[in-house]
Amino acid sequence: MKNFQYVNAPDVEDAVSLLQEPGTKAVAGGTDLLTELKERIKMPEILVNLKTISDMKYIREEKDDLRIGALATLSEIELHRMVRERFPILKEAISVTATPQLRNAATLGGNLCQSVRCWYYRHPDVKCWLKDGDMCYAEDGVNSRHAIFGNSTCIAVHPSDLAPALIALDARIRIAGSEVEGELLLEEFFTLPTETHRQSTLLGAADLVTEVIIPHRFGPSNGVYLKAMERATWSFMLVSAAVQLEWKGDRVREARIVLGGVAGKPWRVREAEAMLQGQTLSEGLAQSVGEAAVANAKALKHNAYKIPLARNLVKRGLLELTRRKA
Amino acid sequence: MARVVKTQVEFEGRFYDEYVVIEGEDLPAWRADEKFSIVGQSQTRIDGVERVTGAAKFTHDIQLPGMLYGKILRSPHPHARIKSIDTKRAERLPGVRAVLHYQNAPKIPWRMGLTLLFDQTLRYAGDEVACVIADDEEICEDALDLIEVNYEVLPFVLDPVKALEPGAPKVHDSGNLFQGAPEIYERGEIEKGFAEADVIVEGTFRTQVALHNCMETHGSVATWEGESLTIWDSTQHIFGVRDTVAQALKLPKHKVRVRKQYMGGGFGSKNSAGKYAVMAALAAKMTGRPVRVVLDRHEENLAAGNRPSSIQTLKVGAKRDGALTAIYHKSIVNLGAYTAWGGGTTGPTRRLYVCPHIKTEDVCVFTNLGPFSAFRAPGYVEGTFALESMIDELAQKLNLDSLELRLRNYAEIDPATGWPYTTKGLRQAYHRGATLIDWQKRTALKEKDSTDTKKIGFGMASQIWGGSGGPPAYALVKINPDGTAVVITGTQDIGTGTKTALAQVAAETLHFPISLVKVELGDTQLGVYSPLSAGSMTLASVGPAVRVAAEDARKQLMDVASQTLEMPLDELEIDRGEFLNTRTRERIAIKTIFEKLQNFMIIGRGARGPNPEKKSVNTFGAQFAQVEVDTETGRVSVQKIVAVHESGRVINPLAISSQLEGGIIQGLGFALTEQRIVDERFGLVLNGNLEMYKVPTAQDVPEIITEMIDMPDPEVNNLGVKGVGEPPIIPTAGAIANAVADALGRRICELPLTPDRILKALESQ
Amino acid sequence: MAKAVKLRKPQAQKRGPGKTPVSLKVNHGLHTIFVEPRRTLLDALRKDLGLIGTKKGCDEGTCGSCTVLFDGKPVYACLMLAIECEGHEIETIEGLSQGDQIHPIQQAFIEHDAFQCGFCTPGQILSVKALLDANPSPSADDVKRAVSGNLCRCGAYPKIVQAALKAAERLKS
Repeated sequence: MKNFQYVNAPDVEDAVSLLQEPGTKAVAGGTDLLTELKERIKMPEILVNLKTISDMKYIREEKDDLRIGALATLSEIELHRMVRERFPILKEAISVTATPQLRNAATLGGNLCQSVRCWYYRHPDVKCWLKDGDMCYAEDGVNSRHAIFGNSTCIAVHPSDLAPALIALDARIRIAGSEVEGELLLEEFFTLPTETHRQSTLLGAADLVTEVIIPHRFGPSNGVYLKAMERATWSFMLVSAAVQLEWKGDRVREARIVLGGVAGKPWRVREAEAMLQGQTLSEGLAQSVGEAAVANAKALKHNAYKIPLARNLVKRGLLELTRRKA
Repeated sequence: MARVVKTQVEFEGRFYDEYVVIEGEDLPAWRADEKFSIVGQSQTRIDGVERVTGAAKFTHDIQLPGMLYGKILRSPHPHARIKSIDTKRAERLPGVRAVLHYQNAPKIPWRMGLTLLFDQTLRYAGDEVACVIADDEEICEDALDLIEVNYEVLPFVLDPVKALEPGAPKVHDSGNLFQGAPEIYERGEIEKGFAEADVIVEGTFRTQVALHNCMETHGSVATWEGESLTIWDSTQHIFGVRDTVAQALKLPKHKVRVRKQYMGGGFGSKNSAGKYAVMAALAAKMTGRPVRVVLDRHEENLAAGNRPSSIQTLKVGAKRDGALTAIYHKSIVNLGAYTAWGGGTTGPTRRLYVCPHIKTEDVCVFTNLGPFSAFRAPGYVEGTFALESMIDELAQKLNLDSLELRLRNYAEIDPATGWPYTTKGLRQAYHRGATLIDWQKRTALKEKDSTDTKKIGFGMASQIWGGSGGPPAYALVKINPDGTAVVITGTQDIGTGTKTALAQVAAETLHFPISLVKVELGDTQLGVYSPLSAGSMTLASVGPAVRVAAEDARKQLMDVASQTLEMPLDELEIDRGEFLNTRTRERIAIKTIFEKLQNFMIIGRGARGPNPEKKSVNTFGAQFAQVEVDTETGRVSVQKIVAVHESGRVINPLAISSQLEGGIIQGLGFALTEQRIVDERFGLVLNGNLEMYKVPTAQDVPEIITEMIDMPDPEVNNLGVKGVGEPPIIPTAGAIANAVADALGRRICELPLTPDRILKALESQ
Repeated sequence: MAKAVKLRKPQAQKRGPGKTPVSLKVNHGLHTIFVEPRRTLLDALRKDLGLIGTKKGCDEGTCGSCTVLFDGKPVYACLMLAIECEGHEIETIEGLSQGDQIHPIQQAFIEHDAFQCGFCTPGQILSVKALLDANPSPSADDVKRAVSGNLCRCGAYPKIVQAALKAAERLKS
């Protein structure tokens, strides 16, 4: 780590004001940022500690929604009664994230804002496009862990497990900054990096995520999060699928299908969702929806396996929800 | 009287004739039905408290007053020549004490002269360029950024097949083929064997580069007192480090002391001295302060060795009844940039089965990648996977049970040498393992438990390995005036429980309770030579010497006791750490005689005797795997492993079960998840960390059932023990691969069996 | 999204980049050390406080050897800055035994041979401690999950599970 100045922010105003100074970075759980500092991928002059902000670490049940402060740790969310009862999809996503130690330190805000795990981005001897270099080295390199949707200059995938689950719940995110303050759909918060905006969220350099809001629109136990990994645990996803269904009797009234590990942002497959509307679920339909989910996928040299994998996880998720309903 | 004898010593599957000096008389081997009170009983670690309280000091934990830290700058290029290096800015950084590099360090030959400690030519991305010494590690890291190196980038080669083509970039001036020729073995006439065959199967098998990833990375702490150097080193061979460092620094051996009490894993990667040890010693000399050079996880995965990748082609011929007629096995091994020895994979093919006509070729090739080093049963893990896969293919083609096929080709004598084995418990291991996994009912179990998307499969593989150990190895056993005993040896406990097993041997021999026996080891200054702790040879080498020393000490103690207590020898015994008069049943504390004799000492001496002549000493085993393959996700879950091994007498059943489980779990990682990934365009390792290089976690571990065929070996040494460190990793990948092939009904011939490979195979169906 | 956070002159004091006093509560004792802000909790424990039982296996949150308890919960000490631990309780392996009396979990680890080299052992034990504090009657699967963030390259996992279950049994009675 290159040395830095360190300051505890007492509140959001102070934090945002401090972040105005160039070379300043915010740190919360630190489980992602510290690895980048150690590899000297990021070398801030000043680190602003957000964990001292007292009113950003909460999980609050309200009439229409559940509100989670950005500083809530993944463990706190996972263990929360309402999350377990009403949003099992989120609980499932957290339970397959990292390890107990990391879940105790990592925060919700940090999880949504984490950097990609692309091994070129993380390699100290490679200055890739995402690190303001000239080119993506994965495109013609080893791209077995990379994207099958939405590829442009950068083909790294977004690594968060929480994001697909939260998007499937129609969650909104609250942002605070010197130019913006307010809510937007979490789905819209994530972006594919562009030439002038080389990151995977809309967040400006001096903006903070303050809260995530989950509306009470879905009934309990109607969501599932499936994650394919190389080993049993402690891995970023090869592919994951967040599937959330709203039933009306035996029929699907509304569906959300969000894939992880397949694109530079959590990838919602609306065409596949639409196929479910008003239908009763069968093995055949689940298979067709799975196929529709990957219809527009384009494999790179080493990641063709992700297409059947995503297809199968969607199918499995739908059948699992049908099973749970029965 | 000292005698010079010639004996055969086996190490890592290779045989060497050595002259050794044998001191005194060896003891007759313990009988098979010998009654013991401590040997053969499960014994918890005698240093368990240190290991569970954090008190155990590993090399990483050595902190000396005024200690400086060193960090190594490594080549970012797979092949380059340093045109110039500018360290001025780094040296000006406050806290930086020295920067070592090719211009200011002595030219010390390294890796059998293939390179230098600081070489101007760099042969893999990770090769050492410079070493910064500073007050703290953070300062070292800042300084590394300030060193300016001007590299002349050279053409490089990573693929061992391409490296052998004419005009390929040369890794070394002497050529890319190790020792200039393949290593060829032949018995019988291979073409005749294939001509006699009714059935022939062929296949090409690929294995990946595996990284040891010892939890404690390689490293040393060096300090000087005058002209004498002390090094704490995370090593499997304190005497080896002593010799290499002494030679490098042109010091007499007695001026170098190497210490190592606790070590966080080695698995073969710590068999010899690392450059960091010499760098620490040089820097400590230059700065007049202790210096610590410890690799970080990334360096560990670039520079600290690996299990090399292999491309193995096999062709096996057999008669209709299953009798093997011919085996051809060619193996191309990617050594990386440096090696100390060949690292072929065809050993099991030469030695496992009766087969009259065999030809093997090991083609070991230098490339511009991180260097090979021994990794727990080097060559045998890879070779067994290929051979045992092929045997299963043959069984299928012959419509024979694969265990039956193995039994029909069972070697009653060593097929490579024609010598008898001292003991061989493979047949018992096969039968016991088959019973434990319910081998005969596997077809029914498969049908019962498989679904459309989850396929159950069963597989097995055999294990052969050495593990005889051998001389020279020495021990002293000292009886203290307080009635306790100390075993003194120059071996090291690398985490396997050596200390505990040696205490058991000494306690049993002395008739002391184990609580009265201490073991001192891990320090060359003790002056009692023992070999490296590798090749499954530690206990079989050192244990017999400890027994001789303990017996010598016991006899002396009895003689002295008989005279001082004025009791006839034949009425005197030692029982549970006290003298017992067998006539009067009187018990007398041992310290009583020391009270009479004051500063009297008893020192028993022991040496390891030679290995038996014209006998093959091997360890054997069989493992059986039950797997479930998820055809939708491509994931293989191993549900059960049954492992039955024979390694001679069991000294500590508890520690042996730990060894077996540990070997199996490493084998499981090799079979399913572990692989180094390299970018072919740049020669860069992409996953030199524990995030992307996947070693098994607690949740990856299946039900493991282990058993030993406890078969005291009457000839191998006076304890009847053979090694057990490496055997359990050898058949695991082969057994799992066979089970996956059984589940899928088709074989994937490349390890590891990752979801992408499984899905690809299923999609192309 | 119109309203924005109003900027102001920050009240909080910056510390560093040079050495600054940092107060750490470790194993119930308060220690003040003088370190740069970039000092990790792991290096502070090992170098500044001499608590070498906490091991550095990877220094990037991928092995678990540096597991300590932070306000009773297991975390990786390599991914925390010492400076951010002010005001929190840190417990290391050295805090577990009382004089010569080792903790029942440690005793069970010895009895079940739940380690080989012992390098990852302090971290494993602290993960088990946190589990048993929260769940006195865990299943074998609970234990595997609790230590899933602690790699053991020697492969002592089966015996770690046995030891944890045995310790749970003893602690209950």
